[in-house]
Amino acid sequence: MTAVERKIPHDSAREHVTGEAVYVDDMPPSRGELIVDFLWSPVAHGRIRRLDVEPARNIAGVVALFTHGDLAHNRFGPSQIQDELLIAEDEVRFIGQPVVVIAAENREAVRAAKAAIRLDIDPLPPVFTIDEAKARRDFIGPVRKIARGDVATAFAHAEHVLQGVFKTGGVDQFYLESQAAIAWPGEKGALTVHSSTQNPTEVQDVVAHLLGLPAHKVVVITKRLGGGFGGKECQATHPAAMAALVAHKLKRPARIAYSKDDDMRVTGGRHPFQNDYRVAFTSEGIITAVKVDLYSDGGAFADLSQAVMARAMTHTDNAYWIPNIEITGTVCRTNFPPNTAFRGFGGPQGVSTMENMIEEISLFLHKDPLEIRMRNCYGIEERNTTPYGQIVANNQLPRLMRDIGERADFRRRTAAVADFNAKSKTHLRGIACSAVKFGISFNTKFLNQANALVNVYLDGTVQVSTGATEMGQGVNTKIKQVVAAELGIDAGLVIVMATSTEKNNNTSATAASSGADMNGSAAADACRRIRARLVEVAARELAARTEDLQPSPSTIAIANGMAFDRRRPQHGIAWRDLVRAAYLQRVSLGERGFYATAGLDWNAEKSSGSPFLYFTNGCAVSEVLIDRFTGSARVLRSDLLMDIGKSINPGIDRGQITGAFFQGLGWLTNEEKRYAPTGELLTYSPTTYKVPNIQDLPQVFNVDWIENDTNTLNLRSSKAVGEPPLLLAISVYCAIKNALSFVSGSEIPKIDAPCTGEEILMRLTEYARKNARKPQESAASA
Amino acid sequence: MSGNCTRTSGRPLSTQHSVLSTSGYPDESMTIRDHIRFTINGREKSVGGRAAFLTLANYLREQGATGTKVVCAEGDCGACSVLVRHGSGDFMVVNSCIQSLLQLDGCSIVTVEGIADGDSLHPVQQSMIDHYGSQCGYCTPGFVVAMAGLTEAGQPLDEQAVKDGLTGNLCRCTGYEPIVKAALATNAAAAPRLRDRYPGIEDDHRSVLIEADGRAFFAPISLGEAIRFKRDHATATILQGGTDVGVWVNKRDFNAPAMLSLAKINELGEISFEESRIVVGANVSLTEFEAAVRDTIPELHGILRIFGSPQIKNAGTLVGNIANGSPIADTLPYLFVAGAELELAGAGGIRRVPVERFYRGYKTFDLNPDEIITRVVVPVVTTKADRVLRLYKVSRRTDLDISAFTAAILLRVDEGRIAAAKIAYGGVAPVVMRMPKLEAFLAGKRLEPETFEEAGAIARGEVSPISDVRGSREYRLQLCENILQKFYFDAFTEPVPIEIAGFRVGQAFQPVPDGPAGKPVLHQGRP
Ligand SMILES: Cc1cc2nc3c(=O)[nH]c(=O)nc-3n(C[C@H](O)[C@H](O)[C@H](O)COP(=O)(O)OP(=O)(O)OC[C@H]3O[C@@H](n4cnc5c(N)ncnc54)[C@H](O)[C@@H]3O)c2cc1C
Ligand code: FES
Ligand code: FES
Repeated sequence: MTAVERKIPHDSAREHVTGEAVYVDDMPPSRGELIVDFLWSPVAHGRIRRLDVEPARNIAGVVALFTHGDLAHNRFGPSQIQDELLIAEDEVRFIGQPVVVIAAENREAVRAAKAAIRLDIDPLPPVFTIDEAKARRDFIGPVRKIARGDVATAFAHAEHVLQGVFKTGGVDQFYLESQAAIAWPGEKGALTVHSSTQNPTEVQDVVAHLLGLPAHKVVVITKRLGGGFGGKECQATHPAAMAALVAHKLKRPARIAYSKDDDMRVTGGRHPFQNDYRVAFTSEGIITAVKVDLYSDGGAFADLSQAVMARAMTHTDNAYWIPNIEITGTVCRTNFPPNTAFRGFGGPQGVSTMENMIEEISLFLHKDPLEIRMRNCYGIEERNTTPYGQIVANNQLPRLMRDIGERADFRRRTAAVADFNAKSKTHLRGIACSAVKFGISFNTKFLNQANALVNVYLDGTVQVSTGATEMGQGVNTKIKQVVAAELGIDAGLVIVMATSTEKNNNTSATAASSGADMNGSAAADACRRIRARLVEVAARELAARTEDLQPSPSTIAIANGMAFDRRRPQHGIAWRDLVRAAYLQRVSLGERGFYATAGLDWNAEKSSGSPFLYFTNGCAVSEVLIDRFTGSARVLRSDLLMDIGKSINPGIDRGQITGAFFQGLGWLTNEEKRYAPTGELLTYSPTTYKVPNIQDLPQVFNVDWIENDTNTLNLRSSKAVGEPPLLLAISVYCAIKNALSFVSGSEIPKIDAPCTGEEILMRLTEYARKNARKPQESAASA
Repeated sequence: MSGNCTRTSGRPLSTQHSVLSTSGYPDESMTIRDHIRFTINGREKSVGGRAAFLTLANYLREQGATGTKVVCAEGDCGACSVLVRHGSGDFMVVNSCIQSLLQLDGCSIVTVEGIADGDSLHPVQQSMIDHYGSQCGYCTPGFVVAMAGLTEAGQPLDEQAVKDGLTGNLCRCTGYEPIVKAALATNAAAAPRLRDRYPGIEDDHRSVLIEADGRAFFAPISLGEAIRFKRDHATATILQGGTDVGVWVNKRDFNAPAMLSLAKINELGEISFEESRIVVGANVSLTEFEAAVRDTIPELHGILRIFGSPQIKNAGTLVGNIANGSPIADTLPYLFVAGAELELAGAGGIRRVPVERFYRGYKTFDLNPDEIITRVVVPVVTTKADRVLRLYKVSRRTDLDISAFTAAILLRVDEGRIAAAKIAYGGVAPVVMRMPKLEAFLAGKRLEPETFEEAGAIARGEVSPISDVRGSREYRLQLCENILQKFYFDAFTEPVPIEIAGFRVGQAFQPVPDGPAGKPVLHQGRP
């Protein structure tokens, strides 16, 4: 029995449930360890007039205070736009920007130091909205554009045109383990950094660069993360660099662990988007042209905003073939913490814009929304090129749309909803579907590479090390399974080691859903080479032990922990003995594998090419119930159906689907960042920032995927699953919109995300007032 | 009436009035301890001095027991959940991040490290593994502890019980569904009982006084001592469940020079049923109170069901909710319209104050510096033939959230007309307020939708809420208006039924467990 396509438990499950699993801040303090924290700018935009750290120096327990001058370099950034400063110099650009790094013996001293440092800032005019940034033309990086066909002509000849502004809000990753790092000084000025990061290599790079160290003197180790969701893709570098600075300067171990409140205040989240859209379509609901201008709130520095925007742009088409289309993408600079990666990485903001347009078309035409989606869906043989030029190969979308309609009983339930809404004076129901086509691979071509180290020990046990970081998504479990399957042994013999830059160099972030794809492929590459050598050994050994058998590597099989010659399957050699024999014959039992995703090409300047290896797809139907008097909404039922290829671990993949869907649900419903007029975040803890709770589970929740073993391009015909299901929650947004259409009279309801109870109530009230003035039949009753 | 309840005293209130005069002060040297005693996973601990002022979570982590996580440090995520058993009581789940060690004298505490018996996992742990209940694992210790607590009763768990039991635990990774499955698949009847493995601690009936760094904490065993302490330390903060105080300590650097706990005064832990009223002692937890009103005041039970979380309700008290004086305290609207009274004990004796008159302004009370709230007298008011009561809580998230708006609406009806109305709104003013103009308007009106529409305008004019992080002024004004119409339809019309895939909404629904091999079987069949 092979180790893949099986529900083996999460690699760390036992440690999780017993509390044994160690996260960075669980590591015992080492001798002389210091606590690191920082004083940040309390002003969103301003010029530092005076900074005096002297009063804090004499506080008992305060060991050192560092400012930007203590760094070898201060400027860095994850993209070519190296615009970020670790520690503010003369200008402060957001509330939460570090100004002084504090090293102390205890928390009380840190607190006292923060109070004692004198920081005077002359405020400058801040920018807090996309509109303000647009007015000032304050953008990060160039405005990009994807275009196909003749949009102007298509609009000129359009039967119908709808337009509007579609907004989605910013959200916090809300990983439970806040940012943390521990740095240990070593010999020759070296540093070992334990970091809760999705990207150990980037932490290594940034630490080395900011401290002026060569890269080989910095080792970064990541055992596991208590959640990342993109938030630790490049913003884990800041705490790690601060701890490293202290360890480097003072030659003492240094620990930093943000409180949840601080983490939420100083780190960035999902980009808010505000998109202008126009769509032309026929009376049959066929889309003839789309023009979308995407604007994101990038925050104060570039971070990954350009890449996030590229993904938003390449996902605005979503599942639909649109002959004439123009998409622009502009990143606006504001005075908030830099927004960054968050599961979906712009994809959700692009896809939701399109799904909202489709929903509006169906409301306008009074036509079945699933039918409209099917009519516009990418084709199998034709109408299958994206606006940026990639062919939608192996397209399962039409099948998914057909199937979800049946499984969710969409048409019958749509009628039941209308019937209910006509009768109920207290509640409104809404039902909707949505689709997702999510491109897998980093848009930046060179990031699509990975390496792996596989060591086989004399007792037959195996260690694997890759650049993938385990943050709950189960990448280690999958890699373990792949390695076991490649070597033909039991998964119990394989351990996946903590991620370390010492073992795997120059790795990419564990992100873009591709952690298992790429690192698993690199590990498989290493295993294949070890296996090839072991096959030679086995051929010789089996021949030596068996009468009349000539060595024949091509007929050797290794399966279930035994090597045997297929010609004489009754004579086997146990894995452990085979390994031992190889060692005695001085055959290498270790290997480094490498993987570079084939066939990608993307021109960022032109926004064209084939940036993705394949697409992961899905469809969903959701139904909501809204209280007409309070605006409170809940999801009654969701049906999710995906194409995730051949699952390496169905249990883990299912958890990715349910978890991602819930994050999408939070983004579109109750998670809201509210700010004071000063730009200060008010919702910086779970008391006021409400992620979905266990009671928010839909009453009925069906999760499934179709059989599809044709994705042979990828590791074991599997498909990445980390991000795509998040976008299925867009069905909930559409369902809320559908519910509102029953009270919005002749107009198409508009609502910004997040659709909080307050937001919904405001819309309900507005429509009630309007319709009280001019009573008429409801738009959706037709 | 008298009902079933965890602790029944039956003692009439009147005999308890002689607080200062009779209880006397036993010799202090005999009765006072300068440290607290508790057990952690069966190991005895005694802590005095500065360390006693730590939170339980910080204490555990400093001791190297890092399975217990701290995420929010304010009771809102459950990552720090532990089980606590007072004396011979049951294990209850609480948030260790806002529990001070000071509150744990005489407690047996079980952390995630104590759930498994050596190498042998507790069934909830195995089930969490089998059902992929953990992903990143950071929330998992909290869930495991809370789930183990749920199985202590040995009763099978249904989906609603699981969700209600785990409301206080947030998970960002799983979408909860695997966790619900794990809990449902646990055979609670076969689970080992933690209360058998970790015995309770016997009470030595000694008061506790701990002083360190200019701070004092006093937990006397008699009310007399408590009042004397309060008289001598007028600024002393009473520490009850600490679900409010603990948050101030963590988040506002709150550092009271003197703290007084009533936890060891046994008589204040009593809850008694009398003729149409329930008398609730200061130490009665919200969980106990919730159980007490389940059958007697179902409307209030509905509010308590969505109050905070099990962790909060196990620690927090009704008296704390009242004394904290928040305008969005969820129990207050009911207590206002039902005419509840507080019993206050001070150096001068005992007096009674209607809850409604207790509040003088934002967090200012009719309470003398030497006074302690000892009991709440809660009249049993519920919907009957001629009386209709509805309570409302509106919050961003229905569960584990602080209200944006609350309301209690109590009408006496007579032949299609409103004979009298009592209405209290919360979240629209610095204190919970009665709505006299609205009540006057409604009196005598016909029971028809138009009445409540018109009443909405009156209600709107009677309040002036502010905008804050939980909602805008306009949102709250609209709720003041709409809640009256909602009330009309709730109370006097039949709801249109909702059926989803054969499940009546509101009724628990049982997912089908995983299939034997390969892909999990889904709630609905696969083709
Ligand atoms: C996560 C979380 C969720 C919550 N959810 C809700 C909710 O849904 N609804 C809601 O209303 N509240 C909620 N709260 C607030 C809190 O739980 C309640 O107010 C609770 O009832 C407080 O009780 P306690 O015993 O913990 O009070 P404590 O924190 O011990 O004390 C609260 C205040 O009352 C004073 N006090 C206590 N006892 C006395 C006494 N005998 N005499 C005089 N003064 C006294 C204290 O000095 C203090 O000022 C929540 C809190 C948290 C942390
Ligand atoms: S840490 Fe969040 S409840 Fe205690
Ligand atoms: S498993 Fe990560 S938060 Fe629950």
